[in-house]
Amino acid sequence: MPSWKEQLPSIGSLGPFMALLIACGFFSFQSEQFLTGANFSLILQQVMVVGLIAIGQTLIILTAGIDLSCGMVMALGGVVMTKVAQDYGLHPVIAIGIGFAVTAGFGLINGLLVTRVKLPSFIVTLGTMNIAFALTQLYSQSQTITDLPAGMTLLGNTFSLGQTQIAYGTVLMLAMYALSWLWLRDTASGRHIYAVGNNPEATRLTGIPTHRVLLMVYVLAGLCYGIAALLSVSRTGVGDPNAGQTENLDAITAVVLGGTSLFGGRGIIIGSLIGAMIVGVFRNGLTLMGVSSVYQILITGILVILAVATDQLSRKGGR
Amino acid sequence: MSPMTELEANPHSLTQDARPLVLQAKGIVKRYGQVTALDGADFELRAGEIMAVIGDNGAGKSSLIKALSGAIEPDSGEILLDGQAVQFKSPIDARRAGIETVYQDLAVAPAMTIAENLFLGREIRRDNLLGHWFGALDKKRMLKDSIAYMQELKIGIRSMSQAVETLSGGQRQGVAVARAAAFARHVVIMDEPTAALGVKEGNMVLELIRNVRDRGLPVVLISHNMPHVFEIADRIHVARLGRRAAILNPKAITMSDAVAVMTGAMKPEDIPAHWLAN
Repeated sequence: MPSWKEQLPSIGSLGPFMALLIACGFFSFQSEQFLTGANFSLILQQVMVVGLIAIGQTLIILTAGIDLSCGMVMALGGVVMTKVAQDYGLHPVIAIGIGFAVTAGFGLINGLLVTRVKLPSFIVTLGTMNIAFALTQLYSQSQTITDLPAGMTLLGNTFSLGQTQIAYGTVLMLAMYALSWLWLRDTASGRHIYAVGNNPEATRLTGIPTHRVLLMVYVLAGLCYGIAALLSVSRTGVGDPNAGQTENLDAITAVVLGGTSLFGGRGIIIGSLIGAMIVGVFRNGLTLMGVSSVYQILITGILVILAVATDQLSRKGGR
Repeated sequence: MSPMTELEANPHSLTQDARPLVLQAKGIVKRYGQVTALDGADFELRAGEIMAVIGDNGAGKSSLIKALSGAIEPDSGEILLDGQAVQFKSPIDARRAGIETVYQDLAVAPAMTIAENLFLGREIRRDNLLGHWFGALDKKRMLKDSIAYMQELKIGIRSMSQAVETLSGGQRQGVAVARAAAFARHVVIMDEPTAALGVKEGNMVLELIRNVRDRGLPVVLISHNMPHVFEIADRIHVARLGRRAAILNPKAITMSDAVAVMTGAMKPEDIPAHWLAN
């Protein structure tokens, strides 16, 4: 039996959580409005879109890949689901389903190019990022889609918990994190994702169909971007062809800040939620302090480099 | 005709060793373009033995092992497992047929635990709804089984829930060997299992290989390390020029005798009969 010491999370996995606490502490000194229920509800609503994209991104990064197309695919999904609802008067559920099919389809294309044509995920998704962006602009004619049926924005509605308003979308995001955490930790198919990221050749030789694992990961990631699109539509009430542009890199930042290794095979998905919270807290806190958004981008960039450097150094130290 | 093919043509040689043939290869040919890697190679492995495979670089040693483990498909010739002809299109086919191979480059997932590595691809699921419907793992049982199994093989690792990357090279190799031995039904093939290890760790792995054989699994051991080969092999297959030069008896010869056969200094037809294993 493992001793109690081994069952404690390592210092490394607590790092992101400590960073989040320190950031919260810093901003509550800087702004009186920061540490309020209303503000945290707002942060969570701002985080839910990035948080959901980060679930898909984590799956891909665990297999030692990366998805640069996540935000653009999400924008395409949002535009498709709102425009088909508006143009053809489809029931919201069908329209949302079509949106999911488009984002999952992009995941499938990414996955097929990575597994069958054996292209690096970086290049594949750099290509599909641009394709998704162009399709979004073409299909929407660069116009925001408004006057959506009420059913499409249900997840943006809130309920009260004490004094605080909580969006249904936030609850959905937290539930998705809990589910994917259990899946990755406690099931064979979840562990196989880690194995593929650790040592793909050894994993293949054990008889695990590694290509099928990768394909599943890319399709599931696409589905996550679809759900993120729905949350984005619910929150803003419109189909926005320019959505996803900050979320694209914010999601990768969230995963890396959360301690998942870009080299694959290591990380805990809950870390990505904390990473997304860190990004959200920085954006929110700096806005409350009146810092220009350009500096927010600057600071996010520095955060990513710090997180990757920590990952690299801790791996070397562990040897 | 080489002495070995004469030996095989003689039915009396089979009666001298009653142990059944588990794995056999007959007249394996493999060409890569102009290069002939295997030129009618034979191979045999009996139940309960450690058969070492030695040979110079280019003797066809690794091509032979790749054919046996399914990594390459021979152009001609046949492979028999328990007397039945088999065709392996991939290492996974060989694995399904009960032949496990331990590769030289430590085939483990470093960030995963020892128990997870032992059960990778063959995880035990919980015997309830969660297990049947969602594939939930029975981690307790896998941990328990790993501990019992590693004790049986006398591998002294304290905790099965530590990551493989925290282990020494020898211990990691121990995990890879234990994994193969746990799931092999017929044969374990080991490619240079002691190559990257120090003296003490190398001896630990040799002891482990002996334990695997004593549990009833025959072992094919590819090694450049002559002292290791002579320490644990029951018979020695010498590969030369894409064929089998001889099967030697390590108890009857010295290391330099084996090297003489390996390098061709001793012609196959000149090998004294008492050097040969049957």
